[in-house]
Amino acid sequence: MFDFLKKFSIYLNARRDILGMNARNLKYIRPYNRTNAKRIADDKLLSKRILKKNGIAVPKLIGKIISQENLDNFNWQTLPDSFVLKPNKGFGGEGIIVVYGRKKNSMDTWIKADGSLITIEDLKNHARNIIDGSYSLSGVPDIAFFEERLKLLKLFKPYAFKGIPDIRIIVFNKMPVMAMLRLPTKESHGKANLTQGAIGVGIDLASGITTTAVMGKQKIIEYLPGTKLLLSGIKIPYWTDILTLAVRSQEISGLGFLGADIAIDKELGPVILELNARPGLAIQIANLDGLKWRLKKAAGIKIKTVKKGIRVGMDLFGGEIEEELEEISGKKVIGTVEKVKLIGKDGKEIEVEAKIDTGAHSTSIDTEIAKELGFAGVIEFFNSLELPKNFKREDIKQIEEHLRKKYIHQHPDLADISAIYSSHGVSIRPKIILKLILNNIELVTQVNVTERKELAKEIIVGRKNLNKFLIDVSK
Amino acid sequence: MNEINFNISPLLTFFLNEGVPFETIKLILMLPIIATLIAFLRQVVGIKAFGIYTPLLVTFAFLATNGLRYGIAIFITIILIGMLTRVALKSFRLLYLPRVAIMLTIVALSILIMLVIGGSLKRTGLASVSIFPILIMITLVEKFIAVQIEKGDRAAILLAAETLIISILGFYIASWETLVHFIAFYPWIILLTIPLNIILGKWTGLRLSEYFRFGEIIKRK
Repeated sequence: MFDFLKKFSIYLNARRDILGMNARNLKYIRPYNRTNAKRIADDKLLSKRILKKNGIAVPKLIGKIISQENLDNFNWQTLPDSFVLKPNKGFGGEGIIVVYGRKKNSMDTWIKADGSLITIEDLKNHARNIIDGSYSLSGVPDIAFFEERLKLLKLFKPYAFKGIPDIRIIVFNKMPVMAMLRLPTKESHGKANLTQGAIGVGIDLASGITTTAVMGKQKIIEYLPGTKLLLSGIKIPYWTDILTLAVRSQEISGLGFLGADIAIDKELGPVILELNARPGLAIQIANLDGLKWRLKKAAGIKIKTVKKGIRVGMDLFGGEIEEELEEISGKKVIGTVEKVKLIGKDGKEIEVEAKIDTGAHSTSIDTEIAKELGFAGVIEFFNSLELPKNFKREDIKQIEEHLRKKYIHQHPDLADISAIYSSHGVSIRPKIILKLILNNIELVTQVNVTERKELAKEIIVGRKNLNKFLIDVSK
Repeated sequence: MNEINFNISPLLTFFLNEGVPFETIKLILMLPIIATLIAFLRQVVGIKAFGIYTPLLVTFAFLATNGLRYGIAIFITIILIGMLTRVALKSFRLLYLPRVAIMLTIVALSILIMLVIGGSLKRTGLASVSIFPILIMITLVEKFIAVQIEKGDRAAILLAAETLIISILGFYIASWETLVHFIAFYPWIILLTIPLNIILGKWTGLRLSEYFRFGEIIKRK
């Protein structure tokens, strides 16, 4: 009985927190998205024009085909090497052709995203289908248009399958309320549509760092399928600019309940892809949080400027990212410089600032500190050894092995001898065993000892000791 | 008046005396009930189907065919043939309306063949199904294709299955004798569907299906 009551209360809470289809339509779309505003959102060319007029970045329009006559007179050869062909009133990413480049020595053949070729004849056919309404809601005649192709940001390269990830932001009452990154996958055929199998990754509004992820309709995932790439902890660049674009486009379009789709171009930065008057509800699953309570909270606040709206949105609906991330991934979030406590022989403790360096493999500390920690003996011993000086790179493994065998048992504190590659070249260093406490996590590990006096930090912590942490470069 | 051996309201007696067949009155009175059922299934349960019109029409097509199983057989044949033709026509890259016209032709011919086979197997019930329910169901093809283009194959098949389930449910409700007798006696009861639909139209709670859809969020709260 008690169990039943508990379950019941969980479901009651769900009713309060989660936005369902009925409530979305009746309480948000109907009262806040007027017919006129909806018309802007449903007409890509119109919204592009209006946004551009108001100084919002959008992908550049190359040309459009309105009628059969247009189609016959269109000068196909003037099309650039790369472009996108879209239906003006398309939905769900249907009917879009992405062209990556021209075929060598050819004016009338291009290469598509999947590597296949497309000729003027094919493009003409597709454009004809578009103006005939094959891709528009209920088959009404449509306009086909060409726009510039956005270039994929390097950061997103490993995450996106053919196509460009975009960021969906729900804006309500001039506040960003919820956000998600959408990654096209093989299953979604390069489209960023969740119902077709794309991945939605929740984003913490305050920091622009990704949190939880859903693939397709409701499969919660941690890693990008088939890889070891963690989907949480991705820091979206230009985060405040992106939020500004979203809130500004709400002001301009008059859509009170808006889903703004934003992509980041390698050169242009963030641009508005399209505006959505009926944003989907899957964003809640990607964020593992309900929209309803957020919308209710946002409704009561008076917001005068875009800046204020963004700040309030960030404060109200974001910020718990670190605890959340730690909870989800089991990993602590640390910055690039962190205090670390070193515990040496006989329990001697020193606290220093360490550089967190994922470029280094192992952790290394300065000779002087090692001495202070009680390792003077082993350093003296190591310095007394005769080490080869001018060795060839290819011999290094052999030399390392040789030294290891020869000396490792001669001093109790000498844990290992190893060749370390750094920006100065290769050097042979002694390794000692040390206890480190970083962000309350205790690590017992081998560290190499070297002269770091002239470097900024006396200790760097390398990858080998960082597997329990996520690093936030902005921290 | 043929074999009406239960009490009916005076209003209905008047209609019958004016020459309106009982079967027609029954179907017309059932229409708001089935429509309300579909609205309820959409808003509260979350079964979508192809809108309200298609499942309603299919329900009546089922009622008009000789027995449910022939109706279901025709329904499934239409969807299957429609799917196969779409795949076959894909490489021709035809414009929408001509493409749908070809599909309708092939579906219609398939149904004809099916009826002939039914007849030759002495399933006279199948062969003698009247043409109107068949025509109604053939229009399913366009609905199906539209969804297929818009939302993909899986969504279209799911919606077709939902339409089938709703229509079967509607069929059983409309042929439920107790209900038929009740409505024949209190025909004004169908006016109650209006306030009922007003309530449904203002309903903002989560749909039953959404408790499953958002299960992961609920679980983690």
